[in-house]
Amino acid sequence: MVDFSFWDIARNLLLALRWTVALSLIAFIGGGMVGLVLLIARLSKLPGVAHGVALYVQIFQGTPLLMQLFLTYFGLSMLGVDTSALFAASVCLTLYASAYLTEIWRGCVLSIPRGQWEAAASLAMNFREQLRYIVLPQATRIAIAPTVGFLIQIIKGTALASVIGFIEITKAGQMIANATYEPFLVYGCVGLLYFTLCFPLSVWSRHLERKLSVRH
Amino acid sequence: MSLDFIVVLGQWPMLLKGLALTCLLTAISAPVGTCLGIACAWSRVHGATWLRAMVGTYVEIIRNTPFIIQLFFIFFGLPAMGIKLSAETASILAMVLNLGAYACEIVRAGIETTHPGQIEAAQSLALNRWQIFTRVVLPPSLARVWPALVSQIIIVMLGSAVCGQISTEEISYAANLIASRTFRSMESYIIVTLAYLGLAVALRQALNWAGPRFIFGR
Amino acid sequence: MTMHTKTPNTIPLVDIRGLRKRFGTNEVLKGIDLQIQRREVVCIIGRSGSGKSTLLRCINGLEEFQEGVLTVHGQALKINDPHAMRELRQNVGMIFQSFNLFPHLTVGQNVMLAPMLVRALPKLEARRRAEQLLARVGLAEKFDNRPDQLSGGQQQRVAIARALAMDPEILLCDEVTSALDPELVGEVLQVVEDLAEQGMTLMLVTHEMNFARKVSDRVVFMHQGKVHEMGPPDELFNHPKTPELQQFLSAL
Repeated sequence: MVDFSFWDIARNLLLALRWTVALSLIAFIGGGMVGLVLLIARLSKLPGVAHGVALYVQIFQGTPLLMQLFLTYFGLSMLGVDTSALFAASVCLTLYASAYLTEIWRGCVLSIPRGQWEAAASLAMNFREQLRYIVLPQATRIAIAPTVGFLIQIIKGTALASVIGFIEITKAGQMIANATYEPFLVYGCVGLLYFTLCFPLSVWSRHLERKLSVRH
Repeated sequence: MSLDFIVVLGQWPMLLKGLALTCLLTAISAPVGTCLGIACAWSRVHGATWLRAMVGTYVEIIRNTPFIIQLFFIFFGLPAMGIKLSAETASILAMVLNLGAYACEIVRAGIETTHPGQIEAAQSLALNRWQIFTRVVLPPSLARVWPALVSQIIIVMLGSAVCGQISTEEISYAANLIASRTFRSMESYIIVTLAYLGLAVALRQALNWAGPRFIFGR
Repeated sequence: MTMHTKTPNTIPLVDIRGLRKRFGTNEVLKGIDLQIQRREVVCIIGRSGSGKSTLLRCINGLEEFQEGVLTVHGQALKINDPHAMRELRQNVGMIFQSFNLFPHLTVGQNVMLAPMLVRALPKLEARRRAEQLLARVGLAEKFDNRPDQLSGGQQQRVAIARALAMDPEILLCDEVTSALDPELVGEVLQVVEDLAEQGMTLMLVTHEMNFARKVSDRVVFMHQGKVHEMGPPDELFNHPKTPELQQFLSAL
């Protein structure tokens, strides 16, 4: 049995960490863009759209992320798209994030009192202007804390991409644990790395919530 | 590209077995995890400093690491320390610890919004601290946070899909097995996903019915 | 109508000597000396901030005091002794301004809870007692209702029944009608008056001057943390001795 040093383990994990961060950012930014579009569509009161988006959200919030990943991976292959694990994980996590983010942001918009909309409307602003100049700026302020909070969920969600073969730190950890017969140490380190990514965000999110929601 | 669901549905005994285990895992973890959460919430509000620090550390570790890593650590990592658990036991333990941490924060929020007048009234009636917590503070607190708690239980139930990765024979494991047997991956996963969706809806209904009836009387 | 039959006891039921209480650097009670006899009805009046409610809350240990001695039924108050406090609170009942009924229990369960938990009364007996007490405050038919289905006045009467269920020797009433709509005040005051007539020892912090005049044996006027004037209601209301009391009464 080859003797692995702690540094060997750490180095491999840190290299894989890049991919965890990359996938998280893809999902967060992509999911944010899609989520914003869904939000505006839902608020625009176009017929059927609100129900469609609600259904979309229900599906993503009512099914396991693991199943969503499997379905995306095999579904894309079936559609003839040349799928790598990274591509499938990116698509799936982007849609997953968009569903949750659109719901979080919808909650923030709904918490803006009706009176704000009415005041803007009585100043002859149309829907787009009401949204852009009056409602969204206020809603954004409330939305920052829970959005940062959800980023933590995304980072943790990337761990499941390991199951469809994507090599981020969970997959790397599995491979290293099998090679070194040191699962306690390896998974402990993997946990520590996730903690290092997520804990500062947790603290920041709580700080933001205190700071930005007091002035009501 | 054609989808053949019949082949997959033909494997219904395996699906049913998996579904049963998923339900069992949830049926055990939900109450135990919630009780753990309540105990931790109490500790964070009323406990000694060392206890608060310990519980706080536990909560932060669970909430800032993925469930799959917690599961792997318990199932693969603990044997190195001499603690060897079966796949089912490891799954339940991981689910309980996971739910406990989240439930702690949810219940804590409920406890901390108790009107001080309620506690004063109970004190004036000579109730002791245990009686005040269990009979006066906790039931309305649980009522207040019930939607959030139910959502968290459902999240843990959905998260149990990951337990199939350590060969726990719940329904996602059944999906993988059927997929490899019938070569019908999409159909297997679609059916199992629908099963989870159905479970999530049923679980929410059941908990929203049971809560007022058995736990907080309203 | 004031109390006629008063049996003076050898020791007062509540004996307060030299009580001082601070909130941080703000001294709210600046040396209170007060004795309450059994079966006495004492009303405490004064401006907000004069320390009336704080004094009441010291008597059943909801507030801690820094100096002085407070003795209830011969026992000195030991706030850090949970056992002693439990004993005390079985003898001293309290009614709050905001009722504080338990929202997750029915009216009947609210009244039954403490006797069952603290005195280990069997359920059947507790239920009978609760029914009796609710009948006494005129709410027998509301036994199975929830608190939020009742008006404010009804809720406060339930709160009184709940406190009476523990068979206390003295009832502390902290502005029990201040949170009620005017038309509901009367029904609560009627219950309190009935209790006074039946011989209950009462200490009331109240703004209801007519009620105080009618029901109390003694009125205590508090000003800036001290007992400023004290005496039978007729004397205090008709012949106030100090300018502060005169000012307070004229502002009503």
